[in-house]
Amino acid sequence: MTKNHLFSLLALLLVLPLAVGCGGGDGAPETEAPAPAAEPAQGGSGSIAGAVTYSNGDPDQPIAMDADPKCAEMHADPVYTQKIVAGDDGGLANAFVYISSGLEGKKFPAPGEPHVLDQKGCQYTPHVSGMMTGQTLIIRNSDETLHNVHARPANNPEFNQGQPFQGMELERTFSKAEVMIPFKCDVHPWMASYMAALDHPFFAVTGEDGSFSIEGVPAGSYTLEVWHEELGTQTQQVEVADGAAVEANWSFGGGDAASGL
Amino acid sequence: MPKPPKKTPDRHYDFGSLNQIFAWSSVALLGVTLWMVFDDYAKPWKRMQAEFRSLERQKLRAELEEERRQLDQEELAGVREQIEAERAALADRRDRLSELQSEVTRLDKKIYAADARARTTKSILDTARYELDVAIQKGGEEGEAEARHRFEELSARYFENRTELEALQEARAEAQREIALVREGLVAAQGRLDGQLAALDSLEVRMANLSKKLDYFVLNAPLMDFIEPDLKIEQIILPGLYQDINFTTVERVDRCMTCHVAANRAGFDGEEWREPFRTHPRPDLFLSAGSPHPYSTFGCTTCHGGLDRATDFARAGHSPVDEEQLARWKESYGWEAQKYLEMPIRPAGMSEAGCVGCHAGNLWTPESEVQDVGREIMSRAGCYACHKIDYSAFTDLPRPGPALRRVASKTSPGWAYRWIEAPREFRPTSWMPHFFFQENIEGEVNEERQRIEIAAAVAYIWDRSERVEYPAPPPGDAARGRAHFETLGCTGCHLIDGEAQRDQFYPAFNRMHGPNLVRTGSKVEAGWLFAWLKDPQKYNPDSRMPSLRLTDGEAADLVAYLMSLRDPEFEGLDVPEVDAELRDEMVRHYLQATQTIEQSQATVAAMTPRERDVYLGGETIRKYGCFGCHELDGFDDAKPIGVELTEEGSKPLHQFDFGHVHDVPHTRHDWIQTKLLRPRIWDEGKERVKDYHELYKMPDFGFSEREARAVTVNVLGFLEESVVAELRADAGPDAAVLAEGRKLITRYNCRGCHLVEGQGHAIQTALESVDMLPPNLASEGSRVRSEWLFDYLHDPGAVRLRPWLGARMPTFAFSDEEVNVLLDYFAERDGREAFLSAAERPDERSRAVGEVVFGMLQCAKCHPAGPAAAAGGVVSAGELAPSLLLARERLRHDWVPGWIKDPQSFIPGTKMPANFVQKRDGTWESPIAAAIDAPMFSAQKRSMLRHFESDEGLKEFLADPDRVTVALRDHIWWNLR
Repeated sequence: MTKNHLFSLLALLLVLPLAVGCGGGDGAPETEAPAPAAEPAQGGSGSIAGAVTYSNGDPDQPIAMDADPKCAEMHADPVYTQKIVAGDDGGLANAFVYISSGLEGKKFPAPGEPHVLDQKGCQYTPHVSGMMTGQTLIIRNSDETLHNVHARPANNPEFNQGQPFQGMELERTFSKAEVMIPFKCDVHPWMASYMAALDHPFFAVTGEDGSFSIEGVPAGSYTLEVWHEELGTQTQQVEVADGAAVEANWSFGGGDAASGL
Repeated sequence: MPKPPKKTPDRHYDFGSLNQIFAWSSVALLGVTLWMVFDDYAKPWKRMQAEFRSLERQKLRAELEEERRQLDQEELAGVREQIEAERAALADRRDRLSELQSEVTRLDKKIYAADARARTTKSILDTARYELDVAIQKGGEEGEAEARHRFEELSARYFENRTELEALQEARAEAQREIALVREGLVAAQGRLDGQLAALDSLEVRMANLSKKLDYFVLNAPLMDFIEPDLKIEQIILPGLYQDINFTTVERVDRCMTCHVAANRAGFDGEEWREPFRTHPRPDLFLSAGSPHPYSTFGCTTCHGGLDRATDFARAGHSPVDEEQLARWKESYGWEAQKYLEMPIRPAGMSEAGCVGCHAGNLWTPESEVQDVGREIMSRAGCYACHKIDYSAFTDLPRPGPALRRVASKTSPGWAYRWIEAPREFRPTSWMPHFFFQENIEGEVNEERQRIEIAAAVAYIWDRSERVEYPAPPPGDAARGRAHFETLGCTGCHLIDGEAQRDQFYPAFNRMHGPNLVRTGSKVEAGWLFAWLKDPQKYNPDSRMPSLRLTDGEAADLVAYLMSLRDPEFEGLDVPEVDAELRDEMVRHYLQATQTIEQSQATVAAMTPRERDVYLGGETIRKYGCFGCHELDGFDDAKPIGVELTEEGSKPLHQFDFGHVHDVPHTRHDWIQTKLLRPRIWDEGKERVKDYHELYKMPDFGFSEREARAVTVNVLGFLEESVVAELRADAGPDAAVLAEGRKLITRYNCRGCHLVEGQGHAIQTALESVDMLPPNLASEGSRVRSEWLFDYLHDPGAVRLRPWLGARMPTFAFSDEEVNVLLDYFAERDGREAFLSAAERPDERSRAVGEVVFGMLQCAKCHPAGPAAAAGGVVSAGELAPSLLLARERLRHDWVPGWIKDPQSFIPGTKMPANFVQKRDGTWESPIAAAIDAPMFSAQKRSMLRHFESDEGLKEFLADPDRVTVALRDHIWWNLR
């Protein structure tokens, strides 16, 4: 009889691994919960300032507005394209300087006051500018002639709106960051404006003397980029500490300057 | 004590050992039984499903946590508090509530009784009415008066009953309203809470379904899993889709979802999900119920191949994409090659072959670039010229190469020899393949044979070619010619780039439509070129090259420019001297097909050397099938030389000849792709065995890996019919209309300049500004009148529609039939009839308002709307848009209002601005209505008011974009004439 017990035990032993084998397949790793969303960030106390210069000072070209006599009538003096506006000391105006990376994951509130793009004297004012995503853009026609505002963004929806009456205003917002969004008027092919939409407020357009300054930058390490409609882009790295002023300069046109640093 | 005897005499066996044998064998039997149960139970797919279950649980857990975190706890607490408060308030009014509820119950009873009373009275009343009717018929005033009396009495009672019933119903409704009012706050708060928790609840329910409780283990236990297991084979029967199983076809039964559990479920497409647990890519196109290929109709193996019924990794026919995957699969899944499975699953990168069978006849598969690219390559490289491919994309096509009936007027034999020898050395992007000096040509003698063949082919072509002497062209200016080349539109079809590679242009082939014109000056005669540019069809009536209606001056400038593109390496060339004896031997070889050796020797001896060259040339052209691509005298009825490819993808694997090559995996796609990249590879090791004339002849197109893959995907997709007609994408008359149109658009390269179905505008890369792009043909079928388009396509030079464009719409040598195919195509694509009834004449008011608004919006600032502007150098703003004087002739009247209202929706990126502002809620705002009260428009307002009864009437009209745009159309249609 002891032998019989032994056999039933054997049978059990045979079954056991089966039962164990059937319960498998639960060994995959647990996925981690995603990180909590970013809180709206505050600006800091650092600042970045400097100047953009251009050495091959080709003069800006005048515009022929004969195609629309109404435009030609508005100007007694020649009007220039504003493409390359370089002062006597080489300062390059209308260059757009902004932080292109280093602020990822931080959120900044869009300003309540709108950004305005005016069409005056058959030209866009400002020629180069920046605004924030979510900020209201007001496009105004101050001329007594038909303009159409044709924005051709790459990431945001394109629009093309006619503004036949003086004083008309159009409101738009851009929801995605983009540098730069070209604006043109199909009626007056010489009209052009470039607008950046950014998700942070740390950008500036160089003035007549080529200088710019960006205030309230939080401490950190950033890539700073300069954009110019004719001359292209350059980048450099900057380290910003709280309360410190960092200088960043660029020059376009020279042999070495094109490399960016 | 004596030992008992070992064996009792009446038995010949021993109980002890017998018991042992029984015991052991029953253990063995039990073991085998358990093994059997286990083997039947432990299918690999069960492990897959169990694994997926646990992965899905983790995913749900994470989602639950996220959802809980997302829930605004404060708000939730607020809502809960509110519910409590409402409950408390309700408790205060409990008496009133229960009073109301019992009132409702009481009223219900009364209503029931009242309703029954009313119904009874009604039926008695109906009887009385009948009796009255009978009494009137019978006559007899007394009877009638009595009946009438009864009828009236009952009518009055019925009226009372109904009034009573309605009063009771009203009272009940009132009570209900009050109950709702009392409970209102609580219900609303509860609703808010439910709304907030809805997502969480549904997640929790899903989690509960997936959790492994006792029932899971019981239901999925061995021998119990016949009841309703969670782990089970998923299968779908697919009527209309057939699987070929030797000598018969059966409906497909796909079981792939058994392991590919999440293929048809959203949310498993993140990085962390690996096959077989991923969501199928592009659910908008595949598997999901709303997609064009729902799972329930198409299943999986129809497109992917593989054994539909298999539930085992290896048997399903998974094909590894490379050695590394193969090794991994062997280890993880016990992969082994399926020798007897004719249609294994197509490996990664070849999946789209599954689309070809149903879509090849459709032309253009924008969602599948590899198919489009492969099809374009096959049509441009001219695969169909040697290989019959019975799909509409490859039938009824002209020969892909130029006609050679007059080539002696165009270039020299020396150039032709050099060209045939190695076309891509002259023109790197050429589709003309390399036939000669390939890897299977070994030894000095065979190389000389190649030279002899080329020289002979040139001799034949020149012998048969017509020779026209062209006068020298007028002198031109190369710089101006270059400017013409860059602006007039030549760049839509032609490149001039000695470094270009075909690969860099995909998926936009269009700029390689015509030959790359590099080194043209070293190839052609100037006189020929001038005549050709002026009228291509005069030289070759079947040419696809259109006329750009060049003036003599423009043509002369272009000739000067193109003739300046020279390369000394390809000039002053001659056909080389070849070994005459070897040539004669080759001539005899061909003669011996019909002659004896002796006869052939005599025949050759009687021929001049020139005759021998020409004879051998004809045979060479026949051998290589040159006539497939080029029209050649003497080969009008010759049959293409390649094997048919219509069902190449279904050809049994053993029919593919891998020769002595062992390092190419033995699969269909590897064979095809290798053949495309190295067309003579299967001769490897056979060069010395085969006779020269038996060597493989497939030429080398210089395909890149990418090109070869694209062609392979298509060829692999040429399958035997296995899908019923109604499920095919290319079935039906509408699809045929589209396919025919697309075929023509491809043949004439419309996309070189225009945007058609979202692709094209290839010329853009050669233009300075997007404003100089020829028009986007989106919505062409809704936009222009077919009658106008018919005339325009025949003679685009008659009217200059867009004078600001440098590129000219060329004059193609379209037949009426071709133009009609295009008209039908445009109409069909936009879902329109090809012809439209005429516009109705508008009322006076619409025309008048249209005229005023036309002026206010300054439409004429861009659109010429009067007599042509004075000619001048400046492109004035008034020439930026098509003339409106043409509108009535050209445009469909029902298209114009919608276009003015929202141009971007028809042609994204158009220069035509929107004049109405669409607000966030989708409604339209009309700036005209807002501006009309301004002092500067007082005259306009006065003139319009004459047609309206009131100021409001005018404003209402102006505020409605639909009416204003119709008015503008009416002005353009009826006033501008």
